[in-house]
Amino acid sequence: MDFTREIFEVSVWHLCPFMFGAHFWNQQRQTLVRTAPAAQVAEEPAPQNDVLYREGLNDYGQTTYTPRLLSVDLAGNLAHLPNRNHLQKTRQSAEQNNLSTVDQLEVREQPQVPISEYQRDLLKGAIESGKNYQLADTTRSWADYLYARYHPRTLNVLPDLIRDSDVQALATQAAGKEIWDGDAFNEDFCNRIRQYVEECEGLQGFHILFDIDDGFSGLASKCMEHLNDEYSRVSFVLPLHYPRIPSYNQADPRTAHSIRVVNSVLSYYHLSEQATMFTPLATLETIWRNNTLQSRRMPGLEWKTGNLYQTSAVLAAFMDTMTLSYRLRQTPQSLVRFCENVCPVGRKMTAAAMALPLGMQQEQDLIDYMDHSGDHSLLTQLTPGCEAGTSYVVQSVMARGIPTSRLKRPQETAGPQLRMAAYGCNSVSQMLQLYYQCSFHGSVTNAASTPLPFKTQLPFPYEIFQPNIATDGFKVAGGGERESSTRVESTPVLAALQNSTKLGDHLDNLHTQTHRVQIGKLQSYSQSAVDREEYETALDKLLEFRDNYADQQYL
Amino acid sequence: MASISLLNPKAEIARAAQALAINISAAKGLQDVMRTNLGPKGTVKMLVSGAGDIKITKDGNVLLHEMQIQHPTASMIARASTAQDDSTGDGTTTTVILIGELLKQADIYLSEGLHPRIMAAGFDKAREKTLEVLENCKVPVEINKKNLMEVANTSLKTKVHPVLADLLTEVCVDAILTIANGTLKPVDLHMVELMEMQHKTATDTQLVRGLVMDHGGRHPEMPKRLEKCYILTANVSLEYEKAEVNSGFFYKTAEEREAFVRAERDFIDQRVKKVIDLKRSLCDGTDKTFVLINQKGIDPLSLDALAKEGILALRRAKRRNMERLALACGGTALNTFEDLQEEHLGYAGVVYEHVLGENKYTFVEDCKHPLSVTILIKGPNKHTILQIKDAIRDGLRAINNTIRDKALIPGAGAFEVRAYNELLVYKDTIKGKARLAVQAFADALLVVPKTLAINSGYDAQDTIVKLVTEDRLTPDLVGLDLATGEPMKPADMGIYDNYIVKKQIINSCSIIAGNLLLVDEVMRAGLTSLKG
Repeated sequence: MDFTREIFEVSVWHLCPFMFGAHFWNQQRQTLVRTAPAAQVAEEPAPQNDVLYREGLNDYGQTTYTPRLLSVDLAGNLAHLPNRNHLQKTRQSAEQNNLSTVDQLEVREQPQVPISEYQRDLLKGAIESGKNYQLADTTRSWADYLYARYHPRTLNVLPDLIRDSDVQALATQAAGKEIWDGDAFNEDFCNRIRQYVEECEGLQGFHILFDIDDGFSGLASKCMEHLNDEYSRVSFVLPLHYPRIPSYNQADPRTAHSIRVVNSVLSYYHLSEQATMFTPLATLETIWRNNTLQSRRMPGLEWKTGNLYQTSAVLAAFMDTMTLSYRLRQTPQSLVRFCENVCPVGRKMTAAAMALPLGMQQEQDLIDYMDHSGDHSLLTQLTPGCEAGTSYVVQSVMARGIPTSRLKRPQETAGPQLRMAAYGCNSVSQMLQLYYQCSFHGSVTNAASTPLPFKTQLPFPYEIFQPNIATDGFKVAGGGERESSTRVESTPVLAALQNSTKLGDHLDNLHTQTHRVQIGKLQSYSQSAVDREEYETALDKLLEFRDNYADQQYL
Repeated sequence: MASISLLNPKAEIARAAQALAINISAAKGLQDVMRTNLGPKGTVKMLVSGAGDIKITKDGNVLLHEMQIQHPTASMIARASTAQDDSTGDGTTTTVILIGELLKQADIYLSEGLHPRIMAAGFDKAREKTLEVLENCKVPVEINKKNLMEVANTSLKTKVHPVLADLLTEVCVDAILTIANGTLKPVDLHMVELMEMQHKTATDTQLVRGLVMDHGGRHPEMPKRLEKCYILTANVSLEYEKAEVNSGFFYKTAEEREAFVRAERDFIDQRVKKVIDLKRSLCDGTDKTFVLINQKGIDPLSLDALAKEGILALRRAKRRNMERLALACGGTALNTFEDLQEEHLGYAGVVYEHVLGENKYTFVEDCKHPLSVTILIKGPNKHTILQIKDAIRDGLRAINNTIRDKALIPGAGAFEVRAYNELLVYKDTIKGKARLAVQAFADALLVVPKTLAINSGYDAQDTIVKLVTEDRLTPDLVGLDLATGEPMKPADMGIYDNYIVKKQIINSCSIIAGNLLLVDEVMRAGLTSLKG
């Protein structure tokens, strides 16, 4: 069966994932532009773009190539993006509309939203790659640095909610569910899903991204339920934690904390029922009681903890790399098998880990790099509050951007490499496989690799790279620095999805937090408050789910 | 010091006169915005979002939603208007204007020291009397095309351009009459599908006695147009992929996997074969053709097999369309292909595909007894389509209301003028200060003809005087002719409103106005207010 096996992405998102989605699709467009002229070179190991993209026609008969994506958003977040985007230009003005020629017309106008400098240049087609747009400090919403272009069907706006940059507009799960149940939203949204699915020849499944800390989690739970009922496909879900402490309308810190915990508990419960696999992501070390906002640190990277633009770019890099394993051309891997590989019997929750950049030095070979890594792990965890450990791990590893020439030296010049066991490996994936076999006890690893590096051009926040990283993403040899006028253009990345008994700690952490929740107080919170019964069921189910991670049962 | 501030010092409060002032000014403000929209001669509002999205509307309810109201009182009035829209589909602007006017008139007396409680009590009495008048004015009607056209036209003219309104009236009435199929019961409006096409102009909007779907055959060799079609509606998966996704294979060798795959594939092929067999037995040798409409997916291999047989197959039909298809073409929607018979099939005279840019539309027309129809909305751009869609919804509701009430109320402000005169007479029978409230209520009612006159460019006082005098002289109801500014008989001109709409307006407006008047303290104290 050689027809495309599509994946359809639904993003129910608010602030953080918002940005995240933009980064992810920006990256897709980068690879798209790059591979287009190389189309004749069939052996090019490029991602199969049809998996995520669809071809279409706009009103002018021009072909468009847009992501198969649906997103839900608050009205204010779209900023300058009109509901119909520039691929489908509107040319009619009100005067041409024959309905209003007779009547008098009264115009009520909201203030024009300022367009960011980057977008202005982009529209003019005059992006200067050397120019510093300072996106990190000026970005107000994801639309400011959006490089990808969407189909008009993609954007769904919740018109009654106005974005407020400090406060989550949609606080509780129940509020999100209410929106889903609303007639107007439901019919329209389900219809858009159907239209996308109708176009697919062989739909594999869904990627679902959502913000777990606020009401959008409720919307996402409902959406997953709908997708399962209607299409029964695999879903790979990525709940995202906000990199700051969220505040909700009319809630003191204590109530805010309770709301957050309850939202998470309910979401985990729905995820454990509905998703095929889910991976919580955040750049913070832990979500609970993290008042100082202790962030994860990746060697070679430096990002501002609360900055949505930068942190989301890191998460997007993870998603892009991880999903590559089933997006490449001629890959035997499918989303189903990908999920099955890392989710043994009911352990649906997995942890994410990544090395961006990889930390290899220029002129260094992978075999040496791994040999020198010693005891410390290659990867940094991206799932808050859990470490997968080094024993009894089930994992999928994806390496990108390591050319085969950098694997090892040819026999004549190999020298000490010859003595290493890994010298027998002939590919990056083989070597990784061996490495993990040796360093992890009793573990299963599925390693894959592609020479395709991760592109870090605009609008990726290239400024987060430390000066000791060279333009090709490897470490400058001998502790030197790259020339200050140059930027990191691309980088090798190593990403992994891991599953082990230790992930139970993550669930335990969440469960511990529930002791401090005053559910009675939350019941009177705003109009769409928390349903006590549902919450209690969710807690029970969460414990049941946690049992899957108990040691005595498996492995 | 209000007692609440002892309990919660962070609470924001406004008391007595101040509270009342807040409420009245909010109601007046909203009225000011909306008043120019009332009636067929009202203006249109164009809403421009920050990103330059345009929305053009005259519909009160749409406007209120788009304006994102923050003021608590204003949003309360807006909610009343939404409730009005939900239950009747019309009269939203009138609701807002009337509430504003009631408070405005009440304010005159309140500022002279009348107690709000007496005012509210008087409003109650006046409301009962007005409903009585409404009952007397009601004109029982026979349900026929002419009468339905009149009421739909009155409703639509307040929302869109007259030329378009006439066209939509015809479309809406025909749609309802087709579905009603001779019975005189209100119909299920879900059975009228609204399909939009961004194409041609608004006046190309039309009624399709059948169904229009927003997708088409996904195989290049499938027929684009078929006549005399059997229609098979089904909810059966014809996708190989599904089985693998749901279970996953467990296999030891590549051959074993191959065998699994073949077995699974075979399973789906069997289903496709059943359809093809039926098609062959029914259509081969005749000029009949076969269409399969499936709610589940159909994969390329199955499509290929079906296309070879000349079957048009559509996948992923809308859930609601399955029900509609059964009603429009006959037949039943099948959940399994076991025991597939001819009687399960529907029939349509013609099925054809229309391609518009990247969108395909499939028309199923010429059905025997269509109990479900489609209104195909056309327009050059999104906002025109939206406007028409809103209008059609209201038009359909107006017709359905009429069928339910079997009665109409003469429009063009006639009822309000009559009620005014009756209330003035009634006022004298009331003792005490409450009669002032009745007077205020009567004055407030006149806001409808007054605004109609102003919006058409006539002098308000002039018109009111003329109308009121004329009304006293004749037993017939007298309304305002918007073309001339002179009094006329709405019954002669065919201007009618829905009975239920008027009833709802009078009820909800007076109750809300009464409630707002009785408010003597506005407190804002959330769980913990952020503005501490």
